[in-house]
This record gives sequence, C-alpha cells and structure tokens, in this order.
Amino acid sequence: MTAVATRTVRRVVLSAPVVAVGGALALTTLVMLVVGVDPSLAYPALVRGAIADGNLEYTIAAFVPTLGMALAFALPLRAGEFNLGGDGQLAAGGVAAAALALSAPLPPVLAVLLPLAAATLAGGLVAALAAPLSTRLGIPAIVSTLLISAPAVSLASYLVRFPLGEQGTGLAQTPPLPAAAHLPALTEGGYVTLGLPLIVALTGLWLYADGRTVLGYELRATGRNREFARYGGVRVNRLAAFALAGGGGFAGLVGGLIVLGPPYRFVDGALTAPGYTFTAVAAVLLAAARPFAVPVAVALLTLLQVGGQGMEREAGVPSQLTQIVQGLIIVIVAVFATVRARRRRA
Amino acid sequence: MTEPPAAFAAELVGVSKRFGPVLANDGIDLAVARGEVHAVVGENGAGKSTLMSILYGLHRPDAGHVLRAGRRVRLRSPADAIRHGLGMVHQRFRLFPGLTVAENIVIGAEPVRGGRLDHTAAHRAVTALADRYGLRADPSALVGDLPVGVRQRVEILRALYRQAEVLILDEPTAVLTPGEADRLFEVLRTVAATGVAILLVTHKLTEVLAASDQVTVLRQGRVTGRFTTAGTDAGELVHAMIGRSLTPPAPRRARPPEGDPALDVRDLTVRDADGVARLSGVSFTVRPGEIVGIAGVAGSGQRELIDSVTGLRGGTDGVLLDGTPVRPGRDPRVAYIPEDRHGRATAPDMSLAENLLMGGQRTLATRFGLPRAAVRSRGRELVERFAINTASVDLPIAALSGGNAQKAVLARELTRPSRVIVAEEPTQGVDVGVRERVHALLIAARDQGAAVLLQSSELAELRELADRILVLFEGRTVAEFGPDAAEAELGQAMTGVRG
Repeated sequence: MTAVATRTVRRVVLSAPVVAVGGALALTTLVMLVVGVDPSLAYPALVRGAIADGNLEYTIAAFVPTLGMALAFALPLRAGEFNLGGDGQLAAGGVAAAALALSAPLPPVLAVLLPLAAATLAGGLVAALAAPLSTRLGIPAIVSTLLISAPAVSLASYLVRFPLGEQGTGLAQTPPLPAAAHLPALTEGGYVTLGLPLIVALTGLWLYADGRTVLGYELRATGRNREFARYGGVRVNRLAAFALAGGGGFAGLVGGLIVLGPPYRFVDGALTAPGYTFTAVAAVLLAAARPFAVPVAVALLTLLQVGGQGMEREAGVPSQLTQIVQGLIIVIVAVFATVRARRRRA
Repeated sequence: MTEPPAAFAAELVGVSKRFGPVLANDGIDLAVARGEVHAVVGENGAGKSTLMSILYGLHRPDAGHVLRAGRRVRLRSPADAIRHGLGMVHQRFRLFPGLTVAENIVIGAEPVRGGRLDHTAAHRAVTALADRYGLRADPSALVGDLPVGVRQRVEILRALYRQAEVLILDEPTAVLTPGEADRLFEVLRTVAATGVAILLVTHKLTEVLAASDQVTVLRQGRVTGRFTTAGTDAGELVHAMIGRSLTPPAPRRARPPEGDPALDVRDLTVRDADGVARLSGVSFTVRPGEIVGIAGVAGSGQRELIDSVTGLRGGTDGVLLDGTPVRPGRDPRVAYIPEDRHGRATAPDMSLAENLLMGGQRTLATRFGLPRAAVRSRGRELVERFAINTASVDLPIAALSGGNAQKAVLARELTRPSRVIVAEEPTQGVDVGVRERVHALLIAARDQGAAVLLQSSELAELRELADRILVLFEGRTVAEFGPDAAEAELGQAMTGVRG
C-alpha cells in the first residue's frame, strides 16, 4: 500500500506540469537574486497582489477571458488543430458585439444575448476561414490562424476608430453601449459579471462533451490519429473545421463578454493588450492533454499575471518577471514533451 | 590482442531485465560463435528485442553481463557497442536517402582529407568492402533511389565498415520480398564465412530453418529451447516457442460458395493525382462464403484496390456491395483489417477500449452521450471473446504486443455487421500462435457466409486460406489460380512472366 502511495506521489511530483511550475519558480527566484530583488518580499507581494486587498475581483475578472481563450485553443487542439489566431477572433467578436449593441435599441435581455451570439458567430467565422485552407490547400491551421489574426485585429481596430468610433473625442473607442446591453455585475466593483458563470458552465459542457459524447470521441480520435479516424468512418475534415469554428466561437464570445463588461465599450487594443490569448495557450500546454487540468492551469497563470502587477506596485519588481515565469513554464513543458517522445521512439 | 581461442564471439550471461511489472528477460544465457548464424526466435513479447537491445547497449541489464570474445564488457550506449565490434541492422533503416551509398556507409567514421570528406577514399573503401563480402552495391548511387533489399545491404555494409564482428539483424525480412529474403540469406552466409558472428532475430520459422546454424528459442523472457538447426524441425521449434503444438489447419469446406456476389468489382480503373493509371479495368467478384486472395509484388495496385473497395478513396461505380455502389468515406458494409497497424488500424495512444469502439460509437451512444461504462464493458467483452492479452482495457493500445493489437483490430472489425471483409496482410509481424488464431477467425467468418478479400504478400498464407487467388501486376489482374497453385507459378505471374 505504502509502495503504491509512494509511487503515486512520485508520479505527481515528477509530472510535467509540477516540474514545470516548480522549475520555473526556482529559475525566477534565481533571476530575482541576480538582479537584486529580495524574493522574500517579492513573492508575498505577488500573492497579495492576486488575492488580498480586494484584488481577487480583478483576478477573477482576468480569469474569465483567459479561461474562455483556453477553450478557444483547447477545443481545436483535441482535434489536432492549433488555433493561434485567438486575438483576431477575439477582436472580431468584440467588434461584432459592439456594432450590434450600438446599432439598434434592443429589449433588455436580448440586448445582452444577441450581441453575445453575434460575437460568437463572428469569432467562429474568422476561425473557420482556416479550415478550407488546411483541408483543401494543405496550409496547417497553426500558420493560417496566426496569419488571419493580424488583419482581423486591424480590421476591428479600423472599425472602432472610424465607422463605429466615438465622434468628436478623437479617442480610438466606441461610444458607451446602452445600459440595456451591460452585462449584469455580480460584485460591487462590477468587474465580475455574468460572464463568470457563463464561461464556467461552458467549460463544464466542454469537459462533458470531450469525455462522454460521440462528438468528443470522434474529435479526440481525429486529433490522435487522423488516418485512424478517417478509416473508422469519421468525417475528419468536417470535424476539424467544426473544431476550429468552435474554438473561434469561444474566442468571439470572450470578445463580446469584454465589450459588454466594464467600461462597456470597445476600446481599441483593450481586448488584445492583456495577452489573454497566449496566456491561455500556455495554460493549455501546461495542462498537457488533461482537459480537467485546463481550468486549474488557467487559474494559476492568471494569479501570476495579476499578482505580478501587485508585485510591481508593492515591491518594485517589474511585472515582466511573471512573464519570464510563464515563458519558462512553456519551455520546460516543451522539453518534457520532446524528451518523452524521443524516449518512446527508442 | 590475445584472445582465448575457444571463446565465443559474444555471450550474454544470466541476463535479466525488468520493465515495471514485466520481466522481459529472465536469466537468459546466449552464446554465438565466430562464423555462425544464430537465430533468436520467439513470439512477439518473448524478449528477443530487449535481449538484443542489451547486447547493443540500448538497455542495461538489471542482472547478468555481456562477454565479448571472452572478456566482460560494459555497454552503456550503442557507441560503446560499436567500439566493441558489435553492429546492428534495425528493422527500420537508419539511412539518409539524400546521400550516396558510400556516404551512408562511412558516416560517423569518414575518411577525411583537408577537413573535408575524401570521396575517392570513401568510394575505394566501400568498393573494397563490397568485394570482400560479395555484397554488390554501387557506391555513388543515391540511397533514396534504391530498392529496399539493397538499402538493407547498405546497412549491413555500414556495420561491417565499422569492423563489426558480431552483427545483429532485427527481423530483417519483414520489409523484403521472398526473392530479396533469399538473397539476404546468401549474403549472411558469405559474411559469416569471413568469421563474423550473426544474430538473426525473427519469428518466421522457415527463415530459421533456411538460414541459421544454431537456434535459441525464447518464451516469456526465458530460453525454452536450444537447437542445432540441422537437427530440428518446425514442429519442435513451434512447441518451444508457444509451449504447445499447432492444431492442424481446418479442412477446406466442401460446400462451394453460393448466392449473388457480395462484392462485385467491375472494370475498376483508378488514376493517381498525376493521371497515371494505378488500376486498369480490374473485374472480379467475391461471393458469400468465399475467400479471394490478392497476390502481387508491393505497389501493383493493392493499395488502390483496397481503398476503392472500402470507400476510402471515395465512391465509385466500379465497386458494388450487394449490388449497390460503394459509399464514399468508409462504407460501413465493409469490415476492414488494414495492414498499417499504427498508422491506420489504431490510434496508438488511445485506450484499448476506445480503439475497440471505433465504428460502433453511435450504436453505444444514448441520449446523454457516450457512457464510459458502456465503452469499457464492450471493450472487456471483446477482450474476453477474442482472447486479447492485456492488463486492462484502459491501457493505450500501443502498450499491447503487436499480436494482441492485431487481435484487437480483428475483434473490432469482425464484430461489425458487415458481409464483406477486407483483410490486408492480416498476419504481418505477428507470431505463429496469433497467426493461427487470425486464420481461424477468417475461416470462421467465411463459413458464416462472409465474402472475404484477402491481400497478402505471403504466398503460403494465400494458398492456405484462399479459394481463388488473383494476381495483380502493374494494376491489372493478370492471372487467377486455385488454392493448389505452385509458388513458382504464382511468383512468375507476380513478376509479369506469362506462363
């Protein structure tokens, strides 16, 4: 019994995510010492910055879009498609939501639902552009999604500055959305909105679909061995396109949620500047093909990011240090994956 | 070097190796003398590969040691093994297709002049080596342009160039045609005659009997038999390998197949992306209760034929199943056992249960999705029924031995409600026990009224199972034989010689 327990403990401690996080923190501590920062001040500041002094609300507010973007990356990844175009899908979703909310006065509930639906649709369409490129022309989704992303962000930026821009201010933002389109807030600060339960529910739905439905099974089979799935009668091209569109839909929805939340307008750059997309990519890679670990990894990286800003305020440590942690985590996970693949081949 | 004259070229003494719960090698002793071809045989998972990996420095034994020319050596890596005069020809070749034969052979120990590869010296060395061992190979040919049999020769030459005195060949004939295999055995004889010790890892008994001097049989990690080839026979070897004798093959069913063809291929022509015809006007039928064999050298159109019959190439009017054209994608009316076990027949890192599920996922689904319990219990049922040897249905199928993975593929396909069965090299890379089982399953399916299309590169298999054998040559059916056709006749038809 104890031997089994020891083995289990060892497997958990030596698993890629644990080693990656531990190793990254150790290396970051080393960097702190080298640049002359006292880790005993920095780390408590980081934790306080993330959860204490009323900062938890900001952390949760950042957790929601990051988790949404994690789904946008993880869903296609299960089918073997890399969706790196989250930024473009996010911006497209945001702009679609803003345009709809501003263009027509809508009755109370619909004023929230319709822009969110439009955002989902817009994000999904942008992502689905990559599907025929991959199935017809053989351009991998990892390339096409990334390449489509930049023009999509620019297009959103143009729309926000000119056709949808707030007249007379010269600022790159839309006018404020009508009150009916505001997402109901769950906290006093208004930063945690109905987006939290929505994204959490969608995450649960995705986990269920992934593990316990025919669709999830066929997506996973497509991701693990596309030829096997094709041989088994799965329509792999259609499924890959669906997975990309679904991922884009999640990204678009996140864009909509951001725009319908405070400050209730599309501010150019506000969607992509926080880097939700790549934090989410890092979190999904850290979760290493274990879907249930995705929300945990997202929470961890969100804590690091928000806490990093607190650390900067309090201990004078540049918040870029937390990006170093994040980068190191990805590098260590990648090294782990490569070593494992090589060992299996031998 | 003063070496005791009586010493063996290489010796493994009391070697044990454990991988987790599996004892892959359990106190194995094996000795190979200079100039001897020593066959190491056993079923998949008997421990042959582990043992050879230990001898080549890829694994370190938990117990026991390796002697080389009577002296104890410590092999920490293949580089160590090469330094001690050990060479290995792997099942998958490790050659650079874009380099010439000479460059591939000298790589790692290149003759250098002025900091650059000395091509003249390399050519000279390779020619001398080829002459010495009677292995013909053009030093300036690109490896990528060579047929498989010649590539293998290049691998052997590479080992010999590094002065290998013990040469390990891991399943060397798996990739060869029967003719190429015969030539390989001649080459091994020539090389052995120069004093090189050869270890031939295989599970094909005909090869053992044809090519070796001594045989060591492994079963479940232990030595279960040592024989001098001249003094043994297939029956004795099989008994040592699987611990029992093979049951005699089922008698041929007397009743002829009847009814309308379940599979009707009519004037089927398939062109590749460049418009070149890969199949031209192929027509044949398979009736319920009949096994039709497809013979032919690799690349004669087998791939195109099978992908057309299963629908994987898209729908075509040239293939009729029970009178209606095959549906594109994967026609569910066809059960299909593919040749490429890891590339097509399974998703290696999905669980056994999930691999067994493919194709049946929609029948198991309920309104609320696909219950895991149902997936597992179906997996367990098939494991039981088809005697698949596994610790759990949750293990990735890659953890199963090749024979058990193949049994899983058969279990999945033969339990489909399909009247047409396409079997592509169904016993490639499996041992005699599994082979016997696969054959029994195909015969049972036939007797229950399935129409079976069997493609195999093994003529013995076709003659044993098929009621008729069609020979494909350059995309055409050039001949049809009964099951009693002589191998020579079939071989001639396969190479386009008109009888």
